[in-house]
Amino acid sequence: MTGPTTEQQRQWDEQGYLLLAEAVQGEELDRLQRIFDHWAAACKDDWLEGIAKGDSTATYYDLPNPLEKDEIFIDLVDHESWFGLLQRFTDGETLFIGPQVRSVPPWPLSYTGWHPDVGPTNPLHIKVQIYVEDVAPGTGEFGYVPGSHKPGSGPYARPQRQESMPGYKTFPGKAGTAIMFNSYGWHTAMDNGGSVRKSIILIYEKRTPAKVSPEAFAAIENYCTSPERRALFGFEV
Amino acid sequence: MARIDAHLHVFAKQSKEFPREESALAPADREETAEKFLAHMEQHAIDQAMLVQIGGAEITEHAYLRHCIDAYPDRFLGIGLVPGDCAEPEAHMDALAGEGGIVGFRLGSLGGPRDPFAPIDVREFASYRIWQHAAERDYVLWLYVQAADAHLIAHLVDAFPQVRVVLNHLGMCPGQGKFTVDEWGRPKIDTPAYSPAFHTTWRLTRYENVAVLLSGQYAFSKEAFPYRDLAGWHERLLRDFGSRRLMWATDAPWIYEEPGYGKYTRVIDELLPSISERERADIIGGTAGWFLRFPQRADD
Repeated sequence: MTGPTTEQQRQWDEQGYLLLAEAVQGEELDRLQRIFDHWAAACKDDWLEGIAKGDSTATYYDLPNPLEKDEIFIDLVDHESWFGLLQRFTDGETLFIGPQVRSVPPWPLSYTGWHPDVGPTNPLHIKVQIYVEDVAPGTGEFGYVPGSHKPGSGPYARPQRQESMPGYKTFPGKAGTAIMFNSYGWHTAMDNGGSVRKSIILIYEKRTPAKVSPEAFAAIENYCTSPERRALFGFEV
Repeated sequence: MARIDAHLHVFAKQSKEFPREESALAPADREETAEKFLAHMEQHAIDQAMLVQIGGAEITEHAYLRHCIDAYPDRFLGIGLVPGDCAEPEAHMDALAGEGGIVGFRLGSLGGPRDPFAPIDVREFASYRIWQHAAERDYVLWLYVQAADAHLIAHLVDAFPQVRVVLNHLGMCPGQGKFTVDEWGRPKIDTPAYSPAFHTTWRLTRYENVAVLLSGQYAFSKEAFPYRDLAGWHERLLRDFGSRRLMWATDAPWIYEEPGYGKYTRVIDELLPSISERERADIIGGTAGWFLRFPQRADD
């Protein structure tokens, strides 16, 4: 496991995010793309039915139970490109909360507005977003307000237009790019006027007893054999 | 400032004079007259109201709506319906609106691709001609579309920024098979607390031609009046749309028996207790007055 460089630590503390270029690459990325597309196609009819019933949202499509679909999604959770960073930032107490294997269709708006996920009284909450395909500007790329994770920053308000957020930065990127961010900070997906955005969002927190939920991952427990992975999924302290 | 109930229904018993379809909510021998509603208006100091057609989309089936608007022109405006199979929607809309008082049309489906990943060309939507004609004639479109169509609204609103659009009943879009009639004869819509509408209709805040009705709480809530489980929804709608694009409505007559019209005049005070007097005035009538262009009454 590789911890942050001095520059990465400074960037994380001051800006609240790290951009990890080529975090997934080569054969692993090819395989991830194939498996992502396979399962997205296989589960799509159920999603469309859920939309018609008013149970699913039409403006983004999350693969149901992705960890149970293919081991590659489990392997991403403690991927070497970011797990060491997570462990350092959580003082070795990283707890996995859940995945979002997400496809976003083009739409005149973003499916979400600017928001923080949690307030600063919540345990440290970190997300890693991995682009499965290239994400060009204007196609739902990740946006973040650097420094908005810090106590006393802001105040911030949700603007009507994504591009009206003061001080924001967007992150178009190549397939395999990962963005790790402190989700106390204000973030969004920018408007997607172009193509389907495919990404995976992994959600973590600094471990607290209230959030440990091994039953949520019972179906994949046999893939969790190392002490580090069992701790990550909440099977062991 | 006028107090305006921005969405309700009146209907007569089925007759030759007032032909209409019957339904579980409005059987043939039921009537909910304009005069009955006017009595509620008088009792609770409501000045004006929007009557929304029920009982069929054919022109003849609008006879009672036309009767009420003609009888009380300074009290009521109306929203009509367009048949789903209408060959000439433009002529239908003009025939209804041409006599005055009917200012827009309610749509329950948009007729575009159900798959959000499908290529979108709004000119191929079944409702495109209705939108285009609304744009040309300044008609309001009153949307209560099925869940499968919720994602299509943004494409049309984006294509027709000049069309005033009113999202009915908190911007909710009922899911297939989720509609029932409850013990008080009211529509009941089974809706998840984290509604898909949060990522479709509620994202339309950017479009200044879109307003939302704060109505229908009784149908979506899991609780009795004042439906406090929906307080968060109201706070979010206020935050994102602002009071100048929100309109209170009762959806009478469904609420006459439970919780009663009088209580429903207080639902905004219950669910948004911290709003300013100006915001309250907007929601209770100001927004409907300017957005829907209600006529100034002689005694205003």
